[in-house]
Amino acid sequence: MKVLIIEDERGMALEMEDFLVKAGYLCDLAFTAKQARQLMEESPYDFILLDLGLPDKDGLLVLEDAKKSCPEASYIILTARGKLEDRIKGLDLGADDYLPKPFSLLELQSRMQAISRRKSGLKGNLVALGDFTVNLNTRMISYGDADIDLSKKEFDLLSYMLLNKNRPLTRMQLSEHIWGSFSDDDYDSNYIDVHIKNIRKKLTEHGTVEWLQTIRGVGYKIKL
Amino acid sequence: MKLLTKLTLTSTLSKIATVILFIILLPVLIDRVAFQSTNRLLKQQAKKVMTNIQTNGIDYYLQGDSTYGSYTLLREEYISLERAKHIYSPDTIQTAQRIIEGDTVMYRILNQAFEYNDQLYELEIGKTIASISQYNGPLQRIALYVLGLLTILTLLTDISFTRILLKPLQTIIQTKLINPVFPFKEIPSPIRTTTIDFKYLDNSLIELMKRIKEDFDREREFTSNASHELMTPIGILQTKMENLLLLNDLDETAMEKIMEMMKTLNRLKKIVHSLLLISRIENDQYARQDTIQPGRMIGEIIQELTHRLEDKNIRMTVVLQPLVTLRKMNHDLLFQLFYNLINNAIRYNKQDGGIHISDTLTVDGSYTVSIRDTGIGIDPSDIDTIFNRFRKKNTDGEGYGLGLSIVKSIADYHGIKLKVVSEVGTGTTVSVIFSSVA
Repeated sequence: MKVLIIEDERGMALEMEDFLVKAGYLCDLAFTAKQARQLMEESPYDFILLDLGLPDKDGLLVLEDAKKSCPEASYIILTARGKLEDRIKGLDLGADDYLPKPFSLLELQSRMQAISRRKSGLKGNLVALGDFTVNLNTRMISYGDADIDLSKKEFDLLSYMLLNKNRPLTRMQLSEHIWGSFSDDDYDSNYIDVHIKNIRKKLTEHGTVEWLQTIRGVGYKIKL
Repeated sequence: MKLLTKLTLTSTLSKIATVILFIILLPVLIDRVAFQSTNRLLKQQAKKVMTNIQTNGIDYYLQGDSTYGSYTLLREEYISLERAKHIYSPDTIQTAQRIIEGDTVMYRILNQAFEYNDQLYELEIGKTIASISQYNGPLQRIALYVLGLLTILTLLTDISFTRILLKPLQTIIQTKLINPVFPFKEIPSPIRTTTIDFKYLDNSLIELMKRIKEDFDREREFTSNASHELMTPIGILQTKMENLLLLNDLDETAMEKIMEMMKTLNRLKKIVHSLLLISRIENDQYARQDTIQPGRMIGEIIQELTHRLEDKNIRMTVVLQPLVTLRKMNHDLLFQLFYNLINNAIRYNKQDGGIHISDTLTVDGSYTVSIRDTGIGIDPSDIDTIFNRFRKKNTDGEGYGLGLSIVKSIADYHGIKLKVVSEVGTGTTVSVIFSSVA
């Protein structure tokens, strides 16, 4: 997967690159609209992450042009301005998603994966999780032939950890994913523990869940 | 009282006062005029008599007698001429009684003494008072009618003219104060009037609107810039910390420290978010075009908060009318409003407490959603300040004191009224009042 990060804040761009490279993506960086145009002309991308606040050109115009030269790519708009009109216009212009800054890198990757999944269709979305099988499209988890009944939030939590496997996830990151902007860390982190406990209980009835690890004082990790 | 009414009333009262004054003075005036003209008449007649005597001799009247007297048929006027030895009252005009043929009659009397052929004569001409004042009554009546009619006529013209004069004021109020919806998209053009005062008022209002619009646009620009300038560094820090946490060779302490940093950063992020949200609401950056079913929305919120309800084992009862719809709302903001209120009802509730959500629809079209909790309550002296920013009374490490400020901003933005009734130790009821459900 090739990703073009168009972001004028170098600090931000480099962190995104660092994270995505570790996650197995190939990344190119563009700090201006001009650089981005050159890179897009040279090669096609699977993902284009576009910051709207570029110094040399309005981000929405960049998006409009980019859609012409790179129609195959998936676009995610990143912006700190938070103007509602930008969001609507961006999605109207064909962006696949919109992430207001500051965003979590984990959230970014989960959105990218969701887009990939959406674009690749319904097939091939079975992920092995130890002895369990997770179907990200039907949102079901099964052990052999037996379907396991998880609540919506429990499944969200599990699939989010699965997408971010082998990474330590803090309770805050998890609650922010589950409850979004309404999350309240001091308040909600405890419920993450409750949900994890429930998930463990439901899954251990069928098989072992050693892969679901607790990191003391921090949070949880799926180690595969 | 309306200005038009006041002006009309003033002019009516002043007119009535003038008329009354005139009616009171009228008899006196008429009397004066009548007496003066009688005096003149008497003098003219005396002069005529004197001229006759000069040309025709005194015997023209006396015919050898020492006295001459004559009166008209109805004794309205009389004349007498006689020789006199002394002159008691030369050349006077007075009102006095005279007895003629047994009748006592009031006369206006002219006395004039003169000498003719070395003999003193006294001339007396009289006119009855009754004949002088005979027109007073009818005159007064006619004057009254004419004045009354004139008063009504001028009053009517006054009212219609005042109405025309005051019309620009109406137009100014309508176009500058009532019609413009804040924030002003465009400034209305000046009205046409020849009244300088109204022009002055109109221009002042236009100036004011321009200033407000400028401030407003600046504020909007500022919010956008501030958002960018604050969120970008927070974003960089967040991604750096996230990447740091992913390093493999971290020990437990380092991980915990990073997590603490992330928590603090998250808190900063939330505060900035909330402040920007309030700023954007106050800056009118949200559309109000959604139609909302409160019952459904509250259902979603409760779903969202189930885990918190379960944690405190709070019993939630919701009794809402199913068919109520709220128009011209912003869905996300209204969601946030109810979310914050219900969340507070949970947060400040007791273990095993209760929350009751109900609504009332009144005849005048107002709709109220009440959220009653069995929580810790609010001290009466604090109720007025609970909506202030960064105000939190029950500090237990939760919240940033912005939740209710956001609620207030959203309520104001939608013209929703909030009412808080609370008793310490018993609970709080927050009522969300929508003025009209069309």
